Amino acid sequence: MRISCQWLSSLVELPNGASLDPSLVASVLTGVGLEVDAIEPTGAGVESILVGEIRKKEPHPEADRLTLVELFDGETIQSVVCGASNLPEVGGKVAFAPVGARLPGGMEIAPRKVRGAPSTGMICSEEELEIGGDGDGILVLPESWEAGRRLVDLVPEICDTILEIGVTPNRPDALGHVGVARDVAVKLDGRLTLPELGAADVPVSEELVSLEAGDRCGRYLGFVLGGVKVGKSPLWLRVRLHRLGLRAINNCVDITNYVLFEQGQPLHAFDRERLAEGRVVIRRATEGEPFAALDGSEHELGGEDLVIADAAIPQALAGVMGGARSMVDAESEEILLEAAWFAPSGVRASAGRRSIHSDSSYRFERGVDFGEGLDRAALRALKLFETLAGATCTAKAEALGELPRPPSIDLRLSRVHHVLGMPVGAREAERILRGLGVVVKSDGPIGSLHCTAPSHRPDIHREVDLIEELMRFHGLEDLPAEASVPSAPIVETVDPRATVRERLADALCEAGLHEHLAYSFTHPDKLRPFLGEGEAGRIVALSNPLRVPLSVMRTHLLPDLLDALEVNVARHPHAVRLFELGRVYAWAEERSGSAAPTFDPTRAAPVDQIDGLLPEEREQAAILLHGGDAEDGRSAVGVLVHALERLGYQVRVEAFAESKRIPYLHPGVQAAISIISGDTSACVGHVGELHPDIARERGLGDRAGIYVGVVELRALPALPVPVARERPRFPATSRDLSLEIPTVLPAAKVVDALITAAAGAAPDPSAGEDPAQLLGDGIAPGVEVVEDYRGRGVGEGRRALLLRLHYRAVGRTVTDGEIHKLHDVIVQGAIEALSGPELEVRIR
Amino acid sequence: MLDQLNAEQERFLAALPEIADEDALYQLQVTYIGKKGSITGLSKKLGKLTVDERKAFGAELNRVKKAVQAALDGRREELREAARARDLARVEDLTMPAKRPPRGSLHPIRIAQRALIDTFRRMGFDVAEGPHVEHANFNFDALNFQPDHPARDMQDTFVVDDRRGSEDLVLRTHTSPVQIRTMLGRTPPVRIIAPGTVFRCDDDATHSPMFHQIEGLYVDRGVTMADLKATMIQFTAAFFGRSLDIRLRPSYFPFVEPGAELDMQCPFCERAQGGTCSVCKGTGWIELGGSGMVHPAVLESVGVDPEVYTGWAFGFGIDRMAMLMYQIPDLRQMFDGDVRFLRSFSN
Ligand SMILES: [Zn+2]
Repeated sequence: MRISCQWLSSLVELPNGASLDPSLVASVLTGVGLEVDAIEPTGAGVESILVGEIRKKEPHPEADRLTLVELFDGETIQSVVCGASNLPEVGGKVAFAPVGARLPGGMEIAPRKVRGAPSTGMICSEEELEIGGDGDGILVLPESWEAGRRLVDLVPEICDTILEIGVTPNRPDALGHVGVARDVAVKLDGRLTLPELGAADVPVSEELVSLEAGDRCGRYLGFVLGGVKVGKSPLWLRVRLHRLGLRAINNCVDITNYVLFEQGQPLHAFDRERLAEGRVVIRRATEGEPFAALDGSEHELGGEDLVIADAAIPQALAGVMGGARSMVDAESEEILLEAAWFAPSGVRASAGRRSIHSDSSYRFERGVDFGEGLDRAALRALKLFETLAGATCTAKAEALGELPRPPSIDLRLSRVHHVLGMPVGAREAERILRGLGVVVKSDGPIGSLHCTAPSHRPDIHREVDLIEELMRFHGLEDLPAEASVPSAPIVETVDPRATVRERLADALCEAGLHEHLAYSFTHPDKLRPFLGEGEAGRIVALSNPLRVPLSVMRTHLLPDLLDALEVNVARHPHAVRLFELGRVYAWAEERSGSAAPTFDPTRAAPVDQIDGLLPEEREQAAILLHGGDAEDGRSAVGVLVHALERLGYQVRVEAFAESKRIPYLHPGVQAAISIISGDTSACVGHVGELHPDIARERGLGDRAGIYVGVVELRALPALPVPVARERPRFPATSRDLSLEIPTVLPAAKVVDALITAAAGAAPDPSAGEDPAQLLGDGIAPGVEVVEDYRGRGVGEGRRALLLRLHYRAVGRTVTDGEIHKLHDVIVQGAIEALSGPELEVRIR
Repeated sequence: MLDQLNAEQERFLAALPEIADEDALYQLQVTYIGKKGSITGLSKKLGKLTVDERKAFGAELNRVKKAVQAALDGRREELREAARARDLARVEDLTMPAKRPPRGSLHPIRIAQRALIDTFRRMGFDVAEGPHVEHANFNFDALNFQPDHPARDMQDTFVVDDRRGSEDLVLRTHTSPVQIRTMLGRTPPVRIIAPGTVFRCDDDATHSPMFHQIEGLYVDRGVTMADLKATMIQFTAAFFGRSLDIRLRPSYFPFVEPGAELDMQCPFCERAQGGTCSVCKGTGWIELGGSGMVHPAVLESVGVDPEVYTGWAFGFGIDRMAMLMYQIPDLRQMFDGDVRFLRSFSN
């Protein structure tokens, strides 16, 4: 909210007559929790503007629309050329910028010739002086003002300092200058000085207001004002409203706005002659009842909308906006002034449903004063109507509904110390609370103050709220930094999931990948190529996305890595090696309409059970490699294997069965990543080349070799503890084997077959002697794939696989002879196992 | 015989200078004095000689073998010397671009988050996590956001479409629901931090719809606002490696009462080298985030008696902290995956 320092100063009387300068106000406000976001001095340049008197007017001989004016500036007559059409007659007063003046917009006034006529000075508009929004004509001043006086001396509101303050939603009282002034007065130990009020010593006329919805309207005050002269507000009022960011309309509307910003209380003025039977009824709208708001919008109301109706139709949406029909205009003579308290949640709901958010609804939904402040606002307005619009109050009425009961609270001073960690003395506490309007009695239990919260502070409910008030005004500057002593030792635990995640991130980084972090929401079209069966129905969508490209929670990380790839290839030629480690989201089961369980917000329900209603959030790691020297499918495999082995896992890479192939990977370039623990092996992810169709769809079709991989973190077993291996004491002997096999037969299968055959061929260890076995030495595996050869000498669709088999006995050096025999058995066994009708495997 | 021997020696001596490497030299050795060498082979003919001839010839044969061996050794030495000289004459320019393994990096958010977690761990905080899709109840109601109070507008909320038209599920707007989750699961003392991703319906140059927060919660008997201040002073000292002042300014967050903005003395002023610090705009203070004493209504909502226990909570943004620490000029750079940006973090 914008706060005028000048206005604020007029509402606070400081001890010893000290004055409030803007920087003091700013520091006080920030100190009490009304954070000052900006300080804006206004009126610079306007100091040199004088009241000028028109002495003579004649048309410019060369230009129809210009007038030559002789103007008295208090000392001499100046010749000024003016283009405005609203120049007053001789004797009229205008705002005159003499030569040498510098207008707020930066324009400097110099003597000049306009179409041959000399002009020494300028007659200004409100807009040029930045004191109002009217730029159509020049600013015409009251005739009674003396020529030669400085404008700012007559309208001090021009030179003000405006503070932009952030008012948190708990402080509706600070949405008016009086509320802010109250805080300043308490903080500086001053006194709140309220502006002059009017009186309403007039007869009550019951029929004026009927309240039919007392649950939604706690108080409704109506005043009939007669003899209203609608016109322009005085300059000081227009300037002040302009400084606060409001447009001046006419004196009646301006007065209600002025009181709103002074007292924080929204008021509404109806043209009473346009109210059927001249009375108002506060009632719920009937279903479908039409309402035309004064901003020109048309609405069809519902039964939960509260309206201020006349005897026939709604004339205002209560607390939100007045109606177009009964709006005060130049013809209005009698008005009905409303000051009311509406139930905040009702106003909030109504404003939300109708999408009308006004200064009034903003205050009502936070809770305005329903007590003294409401009367004060009304009487303040009466005073202003009387002085500025010549109105007299002729009748009044009040209706009462359900009001909140101001809570009474026992404030224990010991508790203040207990919460803040610093004491606040009883006298200081009383001073602060009384200053805020809290009714304090010390008739409660010893060491406590019996308090009743004021009606302008709906945020004060319980003891701790009063403690906060003491903190705000006592200040936090003296708060000691004192650590409390824990009542029991606090045992730290380490979540194993988090450890796996962090170590995997490190390992992928070590493997030379850069970590990317993308938004958790994405475009549904980008997910589509990655969705498996049933996954589309499990997508978690947002009801109110910012835009479609950010409208669904991602089910896969790869679409985002592809986005990043696009960004990179569009910008530079370097290799792209990225990983992301994050969550993906999906409903546990396909969602269709009403089948979903309903949420029971009982606090007693265990968290696990409640969380069954949430979508699944799984952590994944995904990698993407493209470009660079040696990027191929095996580099991608290498990254994942390296990273997982770095975590201590035993990793296996195997081919997918045809039925289990990953559809978004190239059908011929993909593999499963499994982790072996004990006797079991579990698939934890997959790796391969991005399917060329997806690359093409993404406009990356001309880029061969986009390699990707995914690891599902929840599939990873607990981090293994390393176990020291016994070093083999005797050397292993190796034998090479060249097999010619079909291209489609994966190397992993050949290796498996050899190992299986070796297990079958192992001599009986009970024979006594330590037998030779196909065993690795802990560094190289028992079977090593050395080379994959295709081309000359190998038929179409076939390849030669060079393998090295390592043989070892535990307690002795193996002999050539025994290896020779064992090798033959193993190789023959493997070939038999691998061969099939379409699969010819032979030694080369 | 002797002639034959001399002839072999002559042939050997003629061949020797032609030898250019050790392998050929070895072959030459095998050819003449190896087991089946031509000179060795002459000894087989000893049987055909008389005793005297045998003696004389044997001596001669030995002499020749020794001479051949010596010549071979000499030549080997020469070859080695020459090879060494050639090797030493070799030049490899190590100032050419290095061949190095690819260098990876962690995301600045992870780096900052880890640094924060490490610091708070050392101060005895446990780490807790929660789901990103959260019950509105945990995100708001249990945290003392009244259902129809404007305080709910303080955080622009993404509502998750639960296909029933309800607004029961949201993307969490802050890490504070982890307070509720943690306290539902245990009795005080509770001393946790909860780092994580949060979401708000907001997207401009300084706000991203997804960002990261770290929440702190300490609930025990006798925990005060003064303890919050002490803990924050300890934290900033541990995190920035020097003692920084902490300032609390009253503010409002529904789940704390009293609530305060948490400012720390700007640790970056010295980067400005005497000029106006662009981080704190010369004020000397940086806003860390919000904090305050846990609202009794929050404690009550999780069954903790606020008369027995008090606590404080704080929350601040990790993204901004990362931007300040690593001098990242633009928020958006962090999320588009440009490797030229990411590789700044490969140390
Ligand atoms: Zn600084």
